[in-house]
Amino acid sequence: MTLAHKTPATPLDTAFTPQGGKQLPAPLKSLRDIRSNAITGMALPNRRTENWKYSSRYLKLDPELAPLTQATGDADYRSVEGIYRLVIRNGVVDLDHSELPTASGVDIRRFADLDDVTAQSVAKKLDTTLDHGTTQLAALNTARLEDGLLIRLGADISVDKPVYVQYVTDAGASGSNYPRLMVEAGQGSKMTLVEEFISNGEQPVLVDSVSELLLDDSANITYIRLCMDPVNVRQVGATGVKVGANARLDSHCIGFGGDLRRHDLQVRLEGQGGYTRLNGIALTQDRQHYDNHTAIDHVVPNCDSDENYRCLAADRSHAVFNGRIHIHPDAQQSHADMNNKNLLLSTNAEIDTKPELEIYADDVTCAHGATVGQLDESSLFYLTSRGIDRDTAATMLSMAFVHELVGQVPLEDIREAVNTRLTDFIEASFRRAAE
Amino acid sequence: MLTIKNLHASVEGTPILKGINLDIQPGEVHAVMGPNGSGKSTLAQVLVGHEAFEVTDGEILFDGHNLLDLEVEERALAGLFLAFQYPVEIPGVSNLQFLREAVNNLRKHRGQNELDAPSFMKLAKEKAKQVDLNTDFLKRGVNEGFSGGEKKRNEIMQMLLMEPRLGILDETDSGLDIDALKTIAGGVNTLRDDNRSFLVVTHYQRLLNHIVPDVVHVLAGGQIIKSGDKQLAMELEEHGYGWLGINEAEAAG
Repeated sequence: MTLAHKTPATPLDTAFTPQGGKQLPAPLKSLRDIRSNAITGMALPNRRTENWKYSSRYLKLDPELAPLTQATGDADYRSVEGIYRLVIRNGVVDLDHSELPTASGVDIRRFADLDDVTAQSVAKKLDTTLDHGTTQLAALNTARLEDGLLIRLGADISVDKPVYVQYVTDAGASGSNYPRLMVEAGQGSKMTLVEEFISNGEQPVLVDSVSELLLDDSANITYIRLCMDPVNVRQVGATGVKVGANARLDSHCIGFGGDLRRHDLQVRLEGQGGYTRLNGIALTQDRQHYDNHTAIDHVVPNCDSDENYRCLAADRSHAVFNGRIHIHPDAQQSHADMNNKNLLLSTNAEIDTKPELEIYADDVTCAHGATVGQLDESSLFYLTSRGIDRDTAATMLSMAFVHELVGQVPLEDIREAVNTRLTDFIEASFRRAAE
Repeated sequence: MLTIKNLHASVEGTPILKGINLDIQPGEVHAVMGPNGSGKSTLAQVLVGHEAFEVTDGEILFDGHNLLDLEVEERALAGLFLAFQYPVEIPGVSNLQFLREAVNNLRKHRGQNELDAPSFMKLAKEKAKQVDLNTDFLKRGVNEGFSGGEKKRNEIMQMLLMEPRLGILDETDSGLDIDALKTIAGGVNTLRDDNRSFLVVTHYQRLLNHIVPDVVHVLAGGQIIKSGDKQLAMELEEHGYGWLGINEAEAAG
């Protein structure tokens, strides 16, 4: 390849790095300014950037996306029973619409409200869970911080109901927001954390979110991320997790495609006996995009990881999966199992899957598998021979493909809601194909 | 009820059926016997509309419908049911969900009210019992991890639920022990009445001791070469297909 053929690097428009963060305590404001200076005019990932190879063409950071989205009227918060609700609207924590746990040992505060000592401590921990080389847009989140949510669980605290973080975006006008979440789970603490992205309005908007979870020894966190916004909400999200000794992270990420959908999930197993299970489902249709990039670092010996991601791509859509497992030299007796199955529902859809294993220890077991297939004709025939129409049969088989993973989501309400939304989504896709 | 005229069908350009004529009246049980490769299963698959088989000539009339104009699911709604020789396993689709979808679809088509979950469960349990299938199988994935015999029972249970106009059994007896055979035959026999017909495809006569046919046809080389009453099946059992001048090795040709 000659220089002349290379894609020219596009710089981040300076409209994306304005002054701001006036509500933040000094240590966080300072971090924001440092990041902002560092990324001003940075080259945006393009197709020569390895981790954006398949997705850079969806990354269009036009200047009209730069201003912060603004709340207009009342947001339509989906009501969910039996939860604690935390609302972050356009990147700013909205305590008026939140219902917080009151038990002692659960400390939930907005960044803007932090005292200097706590802010100092948070500032030190922010951006420590993600690999900066592969999460270029997480830096933009820090550079645009206006607020954030801190959840701290004391030792052995078990939160009695799921904590449901709703990220609300007002998309009546074009713009962007940068929600930030920091969870510090103390020794032996336990919580189910749900993140759901919701929006109102139809203008193109960008949501660049970063969530960081620090699991102290024996902490047990179930993390559920629902990203089912309409297509106009461009999503670039990163979740970074550090898992301590004998701690456990169960992650379930479920998403629908959009004009741009990217999630980086990076988990570091840093204490012996740590365990993580990463499940993911991505569905795309029409001309949608979804890109899941995961990385599991086995840093110390005796940790296990299980990963299972499934993608369904219909019409002319494009799904990407990249799963990296990195076994560090000291991490003997690591067991890692990664599986990625993909279903192409149309010959015009594209799925790119890439398992990446880097193993520097010799006494480990590491298995990986990736497949791309289509709906099984003999199963379709069997179902239709019982009088079930072809679209319904295809929907049943598509749902069967993700059934096992949905079944592992531990909250029944979410499981049912997800099943309904997945079914609707798939039915819509087959309807479109039939037209 | 079913009239097949001069039916020709091929798979990937190779002719398999070469002029089948068959007439099944309401209430009748017809058996189609023949050596391996004679086209028995092809006939069953063509009737329900498997797209691997291309009908090159002839016609099929079913209750006044031109069957070949109907899609697979429309044939089922019209009252055709095939008990598969090799039912597929569909993990992730529960047997119960699948059966309820199928039965309610059919009921809707027949102008009957749809069954809610508890009523359907009750009905399904009743039918499962009729074929000695443990009701746990209702909760499992469709045929998932079922033994050969359990799959066949599941097929007959589906037939009991769907109450077809014409039930086609494609080598349902293969791989069954005598007790399972009797159970399955018993299930089929409970459905027999003056308005319902069956086409029983089998290699062996033994199933026909339990599902007694009105007419027996011998299929060889893609044509029906002999028809008779149940005595014909017994003679075949006694003398083998060679008795009719059929060389089994060449039967497929």
